[in-house]
Amino acid sequence: MTTPPQNVQSALASLRERWGGAAPRWGGEVEGALAVAPRPSPASDPEGLPGGPGVLPASDRAISTGFQALDAILGLGGLPRAATTALHGDGTSGKTTLALQAVAGAQAAGGIAAYLDLAGSLDPVEAAARGVQLDWLVVLTPDSLDEALAMAAMLLQDRTVDLLLLDMQSRLSGGARISTSSLAERFGRLAALARRAGVQLIVLEPPSLPSAMASALTQVAALRLELSRRAWIRLGRDVVGQRTEVRVARDRFGPPGRAAELRILYAEGGLRDACLARRDLLRETAPGAGRLTIAGGSGVAPLGGVAPLTGVAPLGGVAPPGGYRPSVPISAARPAPPHPPAITPVPDDATSPSPLAPPSPSTGSQQGFRAIRGGADRPGRQAVGGRPGPGCEPPGARAGSSAGDAARGGS
Amino acid sequence: MPLGAAHRLAPEALFLDPDHVADAEALKAALDRLAGFSPGVAAETDAASPGFGRVEVHLDGLQRLWGPEPLLVRRMGEALAGILPGPPLAGIGGTRFAAAVAAALAGKAAALTTPSGAASGTASGAASGDVALHAVEPGTDAAFLAPLPAAMLSRDPEVRARLDRFGLRVIGQVAELPRSAVVARFGPEGERLHARARGEETDPFRPYRAPERLTLALPLDPPVSDVEGLRFVLHRLASAFGDQLETRGAATARARLTLELDRSFSAVDVPPSITIDQPLPEPTSEGLAIERLLIARLETSLPRAPVARVELELGDVAPAAGTQLSLFTPQTGRTGRLGWQLARLGLRFGEERVGWMELEDSEATLAEARWRWRRGPGTTPRVPGRGTPVAPGRIPSAASPAPRRGTATSMGRPGSRS
Amino acid sequence: MTRLLREHPSIDVELGSSGEPVAFRWNGRRELIEVCNRWRVEESWWSQPIARDYFKVAGGSWLALLYLDRVDGIWHLERLYD
Repeated sequence: MTTPPQNVQSALASLRERWGGAAPRWGGEVEGALAVAPRPSPASDPEGLPGGPGVLPASDRAISTGFQALDAILGLGGLPRAATTALHGDGTSGKTTLALQAVAGAQAAGGIAAYLDLAGSLDPVEAAARGVQLDWLVVLTPDSLDEALAMAAMLLQDRTVDLLLLDMQSRLSGGARISTSSLAERFGRLAALARRAGVQLIVLEPPSLPSAMASALTQVAALRLELSRRAWIRLGRDVVGQRTEVRVARDRFGPPGRAAELRILYAEGGLRDACLARRDLLRETAPGAGRLTIAGGSGVAPLGGVAPLTGVAPLGGVAPPGGYRPSVPISAARPAPPHPPAITPVPDDATSPSPLAPPSPSTGSQQGFRAIRGGADRPGRQAVGGRPGPGCEPPGARAGSSAGDAARGGS
Repeated sequence: MPLGAAHRLAPEALFLDPDHVADAEALKAALDRLAGFSPGVAAETDAASPGFGRVEVHLDGLQRLWGPEPLLVRRMGEALAGILPGPPLAGIGGTRFAAAVAAALAGKAAALTTPSGAASGTASGAASGDVALHAVEPGTDAAFLAPLPAAMLSRDPEVRARLDRFGLRVIGQVAELPRSAVVARFGPEGERLHARARGEETDPFRPYRAPERLTLALPLDPPVSDVEGLRFVLHRLASAFGDQLETRGAATARARLTLELDRSFSAVDVPPSITIDQPLPEPTSEGLAIERLLIARLETSLPRAPVARVELELGDVAPAAGTQLSLFTPQTGRTGRLGWQLARLGLRFGEERVGWMELEDSEATLAEARWRWRRGPGTTPRVPGRGTPVAPGRIPSAASPAPRRGTATSMGRPGSRS
Repeated sequence: MTRLLREHPSIDVELGSSGEPVAFRWNGRRELIEVCNRWRVEESWWSQPIARDYFKVAGGSWLALLYLDRVDGIWHLERLYD
């Protein structure tokens, strides 16, 4: 591939700065009429955007977690191979994201992974968006924890996989009864098997684990991480990610007690994902129950107003075959905030929590929803870096604008 | 089409139930007969498959032996006369797809015979003897296919509907599109559609070989009751087979274990024998792997009486095919071993518990429509880059004229679609 | 990363005065929630209609995706973010 002239290089550089991955490239860099934006390099996206950090270098002894801040505080610089790692966290804490990124990392290093999906909740589309290669991910769906452990033992004995992920969240019920003593013993044997077989074993603990079980897992695990969500990351009203603190509860290869903060963003496909790269548009709010209200605006006719929402006015139009209805803005009066609400940008510093702006008190009005067009529940796809898509403007900047917003999201 | 609809369309017709066994036997006899003309004969032998009834014969280099192609086709038709229920339809083309389409059109073309049996013109039909023949001139496969309906490119109704939605009515329109555009709209299948439309070969020619069966049996005196004893006997039989297969460079894809039981002191309802049919995850010559799988299967349901005789039969024995490992996918070389372990897991816990997930339509609106399971006996990873295996002697692209490959012959009633 | 609950379990949802979910109960636990996004999906209206109102909700423990099946009026839990 020939090098372009200097003036062309400058022009391309300024276009790239403006349009990011969608900018034209010098011939030979991109092939075909259907080229898509290349994956963001790990250096530019060290944190949890889908696309997978699996290309981060793995050492002989550890697999990168995909988060540089987390790798930095682990003794081996990643999750240890040939050892057991336990991930503990309550609810939406990011442990599944972390586990799947480890799977992607192991596969990128040439490994085959097995997923014991006790919870029956693996989403292959999301996994693929995180960099997991489905062709090299065996999925087993045990009926019970006993069956899961037996399957795990068989896989470890035969050494045909390099990473085994045991998702113990047991239908995500916090009240599952687990027999502790025999279970602890079996876990000990599994961990020993994994060590001997050279297989990386990752265990996702259920949110509420009996203490005896937790202590048993802590003893057998070479590495135990505790994840807790510190804040939601919002794009307008929508929650598009979270800030999670990861604390090293135990590390056989390094000092425990260290902590790191991770930013995990949920890309859901569509043009709106471009906004995720714009930190000035994102803000953090404290997690927890309660309603978020935006200051200003008069009341809006609620959609339906009668539970359940069967009385919602149709959004107009006849659904085209095979697709969902295109949406138009709800013609009911929508609040026009007098000034844009204060936006707290998400800081770059990964360790200090951001000051959280308390929500403004509600005047009892309801936030009108902007009816949306675009993929509902799209799988995570590559965010086109750098280019602002529609819907990226700060909340309130487009008050009263008409339809045509292809992004999903409330204002 | 439901039988009732067929009756309404043709009220005077007589509809017979299919006899798959007889059909399969007739096809094998036809293959054996055609093997006398050419070393390269291939056919779908599964009577339930939609491709059943089509036989492909490699014609390259046979003209010096048998004469012009129409004459050769007539001789084949004469050889098949007593085997098939009716005269076949024949097509000659540069690719397997073109030949199959030519055979389908042969039934529609007027039957014309010439004294010499030579093909009359570029793409006209000619009958050689009783065989209706349609021959495509060398190098003109794309032009021959261009005006034909695009729906002929695939049997999949979904693909046909998509072709129609995109306004692609004839094959020539598909051929004119950029390959990347077709792949973008149809996924991996688009690559095959585009290649077919352009007169390029898509799949390698795999000659038919009659499968062998190997059998070894061992009487047990005294009869054996426990699994360990059976394991010992099975080990001897499987090892002997493994050595033989390896020496011959062959591999087997099925194992059948028959245990004859000694019912002298057993309950009345104990059967005289137990038979276990076990498909293997992949063709193998490893006796140990076969033994472990069969033992795993036995352990799920042990015989209720001592075993007096053990017979092990290996079916579908064929030359072991060499596989081209991808240099860029390190996991590829381990798929065989993984497949065996997954087979054992499936036997122990249930085949529905083990499998792979694959994306179907990641853009579907509903989450449940975006992916599907791939489960079943002997599931193995779908090896990236192995979707279309590279076989030696692959037909070159249509940029250079493709040599003639063979004849597609339809069995059965004239005019039946292949 | 989201967990897709492949069986879409049905859940009990409490609605507020505006008709929006304010809490849901699942597996014996009640979770107060706030709706942060919603959209509608309608498909196959000519054959087997699918009509769902999706709600992305944030609660104390979970960020989740619920939907109301407008055909039978039952609420389901589809996803949990983790």
